[in-house]
Amino acid sequence: MRDNKKPKQTKRSKLTRRDFMGAAAAATAFTVVPRHVLGGPRQVAPSEKLNIAGIGVGGRGGGDLRELESENIAVLCDVDSNRLRGASKRYPKAKTYKDFRRMLEKENRNIDAVMVATPDHCHFPASMMAVKMGKHVYCEKPLTHSVYEARTLAEAARKAGVATQMGNQGQAGEGRRLMSETVWDGAIGQVHEAHIWTDRPMRGINGLYWPQGEERPEDEPPVPETLDWDLWLGPAPYRPYHPSYHPFKWRGWWDFGTGALGDIGCHQMDPVFRALKLGHPTTVEACCTIVNDETYPVASRITYEFPARGGLDPVTLHWYDGGMKPPRPKELEEGRAWGTGGTLLVGDKGKMFGDRLIPESRQKAYGKPPQKLERSPGHHKEWILACKGGKPAGSNFPDHAGLLAQVVLLGNLAIRPALKEKLTRVKLHWDGDAMKVTNLPEANQYLRREYRQGWTV
Amino acid sequence: MSNQHRRISRRNLMRGAAGAGAAFTFVPRGVLGGHGVQGANEKLNIAAIGSGGMGGANINKCATENIVALCDVDDQHAAGTFKKFPNAKKYKDFRVMLDKEDKNIDAVIVATPDHTHAVAAMACIKRRKHIYCQKPLAHSIYEVRMLTEAARKYKVQTQMGNQGHSSNEIRLLYEWIQDGAVGPVREIHSWSDRPVGGHPWSDFPIMARPKETPPVPDTLDWDLWLGPVRDRPYHPIYCPTKWRGWYDFGTGALGDMGCHIIDPPFWALKLGAPTRVEASTTHYKPEVASETYPRASVVRYEFPARGKMPPVKLTWYDGRLLPPRPRDLEPGRKLGTNGTVLVGENGSIMHGSHGAGGVRIIPEKKMRAYDRPDQTLPRVKSGSGGHEQDWVRACKDGNPASSSFEYGGPLTETVLLGVLAMRLKNIPLEWDSENMKVTNCDEAAKYVKPEFREGWTL
Repeated sequence: MRDNKKPKQTKRSKLTRRDFMGAAAAATAFTVVPRHVLGGPRQVAPSEKLNIAGIGVGGRGGGDLRELESENIAVLCDVDSNRLRGASKRYPKAKTYKDFRRMLEKENRNIDAVMVATPDHCHFPASMMAVKMGKHVYCEKPLTHSVYEARTLAEAARKAGVATQMGNQGQAGEGRRLMSETVWDGAIGQVHEAHIWTDRPMRGINGLYWPQGEERPEDEPPVPETLDWDLWLGPAPYRPYHPSYHPFKWRGWWDFGTGALGDIGCHQMDPVFRALKLGHPTTVEACCTIVNDETYPVASRITYEFPARGGLDPVTLHWYDGGMKPPRPKELEEGRAWGTGGTLLVGDKGKMFGDRLIPESRQKAYGKPPQKLERSPGHHKEWILACKGGKPAGSNFPDHAGLLAQVVLLGNLAIRPALKEKLTRVKLHWDGDAMKVTNLPEANQYLRREYRQGWTV
Repeated sequence: MSNQHRRISRRNLMRGAAGAGAAFTFVPRGVLGGHGVQGANEKLNIAAIGSGGMGGANINKCATENIVALCDVDDQHAAGTFKKFPNAKKYKDFRVMLDKEDKNIDAVIVATPDHTHAVAAMACIKRRKHIYCQKPLAHSIYEVRMLTEAARKYKVQTQMGNQGHSSNEIRLLYEWIQDGAVGPVREIHSWSDRPVGGHPWSDFPIMARPKETPPVPDTLDWDLWLGPVRDRPYHPIYCPTKWRGWYDFGTGALGDMGCHIIDPPFWALKLGAPTRVEASTTHYKPEVASETYPRASVVRYEFPARGKMPPVKLTWYDGRLLPPRPRDLEPGRKLGTNGTVLVGENGSIMHGSHGAGGVRIIPEKKMRAYDRPDQTLPRVKSGSGGHEQDWVRACKDGNPASSSFEYGGPLTETVLLGVLAMRLKNIPLEWDSENMKVTNCDEAAKYVKPEFREGWTL
């Protein structure tokens, strides 16, 4: 981490580890000292392999693990034994667990790093516990389920000096860098408006990724034998199992997911954050289709206002989901795809659609911006290198992902059903440093949530 | 044609066909040169097509006149109105009614579902009957254009049922805009909470076509209810109240409310025909998207410059979507469930539904400081509540009613162009109003002019 002193390389910890890896029985007295007491994560030489534990190893988690296979996938943890079995086939030597709390306690000495790809509501407890134990953490986006959690986790990661990376893999791409460099080159002048949209929860114009705008199901089908439902719920309030939540459809539910915004916001706001050097917004407001206390709405528009930053003018950022889009700019040639998701930057000297100036003739005339940013070795690789003492990864929690996730998740505050009536009268005024809404105090209760007993970190 | 002549003619007719001794009383009204000016003291003979629901309300407002014939495809739905006017003849099929009562009626109120406005109103116009037709004027742009032209050709007095157009507030808005109260306006936002307003009349179905085929109620002639629309089995999810949500019958939230909410800026800013329109919607299931209007939509219109007035971008939001909070709206002040904001160079104007209800310059400070211009427009007696009577007046004195088809037609075309854009979502459509053609999307033609079922024509 940029702001952290590198933990000292200790011969002792290396020995400790080797001992443990060799045989548990070989444990000598000093190995009983917990890793984090020793002052941070174990230093792993670039030539050595990290021992990685995966928490949530089906779906996206499985994909993340494949990106980390240059290292030793040492432990697998999942609340669904089907998924665990699937991952075990690929990593037969890895130990398996259902409960990440137990896994982290048991494997503390055997792992250097943790990959977290649970549903959103478990990101924080799993990542926070790992960070506190001095483990490097790769956590899927959005970083957490609440604004408070994002800030707390980022601060904890800074303090622990662990290497972190949020799973917004697009940040490592070439296009993102070109967007920043083009904007910084002044190609579109001062940017006053940004529009970001996704089709989700819809899938294209005739499909659906997961439902939103639904009521809680009333039937109580039996829990599949392979699933530990109580563990799946984790910190969330208890409710009976239903296939409407697991697998995958949890994204639409307030208790578990963070909606279309949480799913895609961290991907698509990321480049805009970097290009425009955004920080906390000063206001946020939203409109949406009918919303209840169970699920996110079918569609929403969320508008953030960012203040002037250095020599940069204030910016209004509009987020659209569920099929809503900004108006198609005239500069975009007829017939050119407007996309199911995208980004439009409106500057006083031009517009960018994604990482390209529009119309395309302008991009052609412009060519390439001067390179100002280092290119990435790959998103997961960034983290691996950081874990081994390299520089912080591009979407590490303390310097980037924590703030980005806070701002993304703040948007969901503006569509909270309980605030809806009041929000027809005011925008939410946000004091980012103090982490509070200043003009509607009751909104602040939604910045964090209660955890079920046994799940407090 | 002299008034004298017509009056005699009419009186004879009023006595009853049997008693009409003189030859000239059999000369059809139209041959006598269309409607001239009717004596102010004389009563109109009014018929209604679609007598339940909103039709009933319109008819009651015209009860100063003779309600001579009532038509409805559903006796039950119209029962209240039928009972109120025991002397009126009752019909199910407006075509039969017009054939039988042609000589006995001067004017007709059309308050059917949207999909039968045009066939009913056109049949009346061609018989030179004055027409009061509910909003939106018709179900397709082509129908609207034909009605507007026919009303002009046959010189009948017309009124579209956007009663807010008779309000005092819409006239205030017009006068303030003329006065330059907020400077040139380039941006307008209009919104409605429908199709999920939360009331029986403002919640429309969003669903696939039902598969079950419940029996048709005894009181309903389903085939007549369908009128020009291709056949499908009866279901209570269409009739009598839920048709607004279905493509084939209604025109959705925008069609329902646009003629109220977009009306004030359309008039005050003389918007005329848009040149471009583009819609986003929440539809994602093909079987739903092909049948009903979406849960929510955003429709963006562009209007070209008009004289000294700059081009305008007008955005429509429904399904509880809203514009970003207007820059000139004070914190704490509510953005209503239905309304419009006109963003001017020097301030904004906000109003609610139905004829610029509650129109104010915002912020309020600016409203208070505003030195209001003198009244330039005449007011309609009783405002919105006098909308029907304004039409009665027009039928009698020959001066157009407040929202005659000359005005209501183009307003409805604009609204329906947005409805059409929802069917072709995410495509910016270039609109050639004069030729009634979307110039960059051939698929649009079938929505501009949908086909009628055999046996039905305009």
